Amino acid sequence: MDVQTAFSKFTKIEVHPEILEIYRYDFSLIPKPLLKFVKKPLIVVQPNKIDDLVRILEICERFGLSIVPRGSATSAYGGCVPLKECVVIDFKRISNFEFRENVVVAESGAIWMEIERHANKIGKALRVYPTSALVSTVGGWIAQSGYGIGSLRYGGIGDNLEWIEVVDFKGLRIVKGRDLRHYVGAFGTTGLIARACIRLRENSEIRAKAIACKFSDAISRLENAYHATFKDSRLMQMEGYDAQDTLLLCSENVEGNELGEKMWARRLTPLRIASKGKRVFLEVAVPYEKATDFYENARRVAEGVEAIFSKDCVVFLGSFSANYKNIIKALKFVRIAEKLEGKVYATGMLFSHKSSKELRDFKRKVDPKDLLNPKKLEPNVFSRIIGVLERFL
Amino acid sequence: MNKCINCGLCKVCPTFAVEKIESTSPRGKVILSKRGRIDKRIVRDFFKCTLCGLCEVVCPVNLKLVELWEKKREEFTEKKFAPLPIHKKLGEITLKYFNPYSGQPEKRANWLDFSVGNSKTLYFAGCTPSYKLQNIARSSARVLRELGVEFTILGSSEFCCGSPFLRTGQRNVGRLLFEKNFRAWQRAGIEEVITSCPGCFKTISHDYPKLARELGYEFEIEVKHISMVLADNIKGDLGIRATYHDPCHLGRHMNVYEEPRKVIRRAGIDLVEMERNREYSLCCGAGGGLRSQFREISISICEERIKEALSTGTNVLITSCPFCEYNFTRVGGKRIKVYDLSEIAEMTLFR
Repeated sequence: MDVQTAFSKFTKIEVHPEILEIYRYDFSLIPKPLLKFVKKPLIVVQPNKIDDLVRILEICERFGLSIVPRGSATSAYGGCVPLKECVVIDFKRISNFEFRENVVVAESGAIWMEIERHANKIGKALRVYPTSALVSTVGGWIAQSGYGIGSLRYGGIGDNLEWIEVVDFKGLRIVKGRDLRHYVGAFGTTGLIARACIRLRENSEIRAKAIACKFSDAISRLENAYHATFKDSRLMQMEGYDAQDTLLLCSENVEGNELGEKMWARRLTPLRIASKGKRVFLEVAVPYEKATDFYENARRVAEGVEAIFSKDCVVFLGSFSANYKNIIKALKFVRIAEKLEGKVYATGMLFSHKSSKELRDFKRKVDPKDLLNPKKLEPNVFSRIIGVLERFL
Repeated sequence: MNKCINCGLCKVCPTFAVEKIESTSPRGKVILSKRGRIDKRIVRDFFKCTLCGLCEVVCPVNLKLVELWEKKREEFTEKKFAPLPIHKKLGEITLKYFNPYSGQPEKRANWLDFSVGNSKTLYFAGCTPSYKLQNIARSSARVLRELGVEFTILGSSEFCCGSPFLRTGQRNVGRLLFEKNFRAWQRAGIEEVITSCPGCFKTISHDYPKLARELGYEFEIEVKHISMVLADNIKGDLGIRATYHDPCHLGRHMNVYEEPRKVIRRAGIDLVEMERNREYSLCCGAGGGLRSQFREISISICEERIKEALSTGTNVLITSCPFCEYNFTRVGGKRIKVYDLSEIAEMTLFR
């Protein structure tokens, strides 16, 4: 029995050669000359239920096929870009969720905003969600890890998981506590996230206030807010606001103002500055005590800087117009963070050389044949190029 | 198209939510368009779209995606991959009867229950109110008369506006229908058109001036959707609770959001908004030729919208588009009571 027949017995498959081309891309900007290193999947499979994942992995193991998991492919880190011929597992059809007391148990393909919409009906709300929540999936964000709306009060997505259910070549199992670190931010290299139990908050109306504020003063003004971001004057101008360094504070307790409410209303339609021309966005996480130092240095490198305040760190997003010269500047942005005890926000395809040894060791144990999203924890052509460029900084 | 940054936010697409395969997502279609290799399957996936324009609302680089989808459909027609069978059939029917429902042209104004004289203002009922949902045409005309708006109708000299064909790549059919309508309007001395149908409203407002330029005509006719006429002229106390569905062609395409709401509120209705409203409104699933060619997808999208409407706690849904009403009524059955804005206005004025 061939692979196609084996999968088509229980899942929806896609093998149209042109349509498979689409599955080579996510939001990462790949220079044309390097596109040849991105492979076209052999097949896309869309499981209908979680048990199908176990069967898919069995078949892949039997045929020695690499696996690349895919949610909505909205990440800029290339986590779901295939670097080997592979089976793409598209999670869109596994998207059920149910509410239990103060948590939601959601399948990997569930869309964040769908969950939020339903949670609001029962007086609950997600504690944190990504700015791409209108389309991005539960599994996708957990697999990348990260911070988003609500992270000032509640931390990153990893801080808001009771447990996750993962599938690897030994089957399904529940993972919780410290063991979550092997999966959150691992881009599916150690196991595929099938389901997650995510903590909720009581729903309450969030109001937003925008104030003119220098970054050096911003941290002292966070006032136990639910969510807070800082945008420098250049970014504000590019987004169509007055060119003024601005702190946005969002909370149940603040008195909203017009600019704040406008910025809050636009929280789920990010990247507007890309309308001024293609851009490279890069994010780093920096400890609070080094954040002002970082900002002062990084603003000279980036063309615009945004800070998303989290419970335990500040995430800085640097914006650069997309050209080869600016790739060096973007890497400088990362280097400045690293010098100040910070780190790149996510590894994925582009920064796989920065993944932790602990994670690589764990992968060797659970995936000795390196079938799960290969080349995303070890150097690949993209991360090697970045590594070489980093030496010239 | 080259400005696309592959962010994927356009996957808010209601068809993609049903189909779940990337070739039906706007991002997927942009990637396919750049590659330029087409076959029957890809063309079919391109047509799995209501042209609702939600993708444009979220696109950070402001791509004119609806225009792109329409251009691609025309290109597919030029390359003989389109029109798709049902769209083609509807085109053939319309070339014969001047409406896509095989309605006899001489019966086009059968809905009218009073006589109208000559006027420079035309009430353009559109095909669906003329043949399928005559309640909308009848209510609109009665309300206009009651409000003292002098208008005429053209009966068998009213032809399909061409919207279904301009949206499905059949520009030649759209062009012919434009010419027939335009000549009839010139003969009748029409200077202003009022319509109940957002599809007609958009087509006459946006497409007719372009077609006129292409064909060397001067087009200086003012067009209004009936909600714009009613907005300041309705006052009543219906005392019901209802939700409002923004038709894509009226809202996102023509930026008319407040006028229908004003009518509803002034009619004394307790308006409960759906979670997705105004520019973020979810399509009813009928437009862009989706309902005719891909009925199941259209029904799934409509089901989702009906669920959202019912979750507001009312089963009364008001819209201001005959095509939306038709789809909601067919899919929703007895679960939901659907009214056109003109019917609400009529109830208010004649209560």
